[in-house]
Amino acid sequence: MTDETTWITQARQGDDEAFTHLVETYQKPVYNLCYRMLGEPEAAEDAAQETFLKVYQNLARYDRERSFATWLLSIAAHHCIDRLRRRRFNSVSIDEDEEGQTDIPDRFAPDPESETAKRQEGERLHNCLQSLDPIDRAAVIMRYWQDCSEVEIAQALKLTVPAVKSRLHRARRALANLWDEKPAHMRTERKPYESPAF
Amino acid sequence: MNHRPFEDWLLDNQALTNDQKRQLNTHMQTCRSCAALGEVNLALKSARVAAPAAGFADRFQVRLIARKQALRWRNFWGFTLLTLSVLGLFGWISWPVLKDLIQSPVNLLASWISSLVSFWASLQAIFRAGMVLIKVAPGFVPTYIWTVILFAAGGWSLVWVVSLMKFTKKLQGV
Repeated sequence: MTDETTWITQARQGDDEAFTHLVETYQKPVYNLCYRMLGEPEAAEDAAQETFLKVYQNLARYDRERSFATWLLSIAAHHCIDRLRRRRFNSVSIDEDEEGQTDIPDRFAPDPESETAKRQEGERLHNCLQSLDPIDRAAVIMRYWQDCSEVEIAQALKLTVPAVKSRLHRARRALANLWDEKPAHMRTERKPYESPAF
Repeated sequence: MNHRPFEDWLLDNQALTNDQKRQLNTHMQTCRSCAALGEVNLALKSARVAAPAAGFADRFQVRLIARKQALRWRNFWGFTLLTLSVLGLFGWISWPVLKDLIQSPVNLLASWISSLVSFWASLQAIFRAGMVLIKVAPGFVPTYIWTVILFAAGGWSLVWVVSLMKFTKKLQGV
């Protein structure tokens, strides 16, 4: 029995400490998903906390045949999608506050210039992501940040595998269009015979 | 400009041969659309994972305790309010009876027994009338009407089963 399985079993029996271990283990992927989905650190923190509360309340419903991480990310993704829908309904723009807390340049990094460029690129990508449809955005985040397979994404977002593929293609095309609109100095430097695809 | 097969290579993340890589690079030097797609691929693959501020689990514990407390209060007030409402409603409905019971219990008991007897007599009369109707009705209704009724019932059941199957099917798709 792995640590995770033990913690889940104990948490189901009402052991809050075991659940805290689960929170500590998964806080980063859940927070990252929420942050990339919602675009703001405060909203991401709140959404991640609410996700763990939902998981705590619904732990008895968790199907042990499924991956816990996928189930958890599924709850987080749906929570964020709901928030974005409500936000759209309330006509509040998320593009106004795009201050991320993560992509801060490392002063002690060997190459501060490339660190800054990387940070700018990260910010640019983050901003482009905010323009995607919430479900497409969730699929892209799960694919690239959480390394989920298409099958896992399909399970988490309640889609078919071909639908996930098509959404990922559509999302990346949309991102490329948005990317193309950015200023030239922010573009990734390409070296001869080095494909950016790899 | 023809983006095939370069766009597919980029979108499907296919493993390319050296020759294909060369072709792709040559194409991307002249095609802004494919170059942007390649740049996005690269940016997505090298994107950093955002981490929450330190003490996330502690903040969760605080929130969990607060939520449990709020839930306890909500349950307590909900139960109290429900009990009071039920008691109030019961009192309001039973007040005329209670008043009679307090003032003249014998009269009230007699009226209850009389009501029960008349209720029982009515039930027996309805049952007898129903039995007579069941015996007589088939003779009045022609056979084809019974056939129509049976078919209609069958059709209705079919529609019902199909609707149930359709609405309980898992929702999937883009």
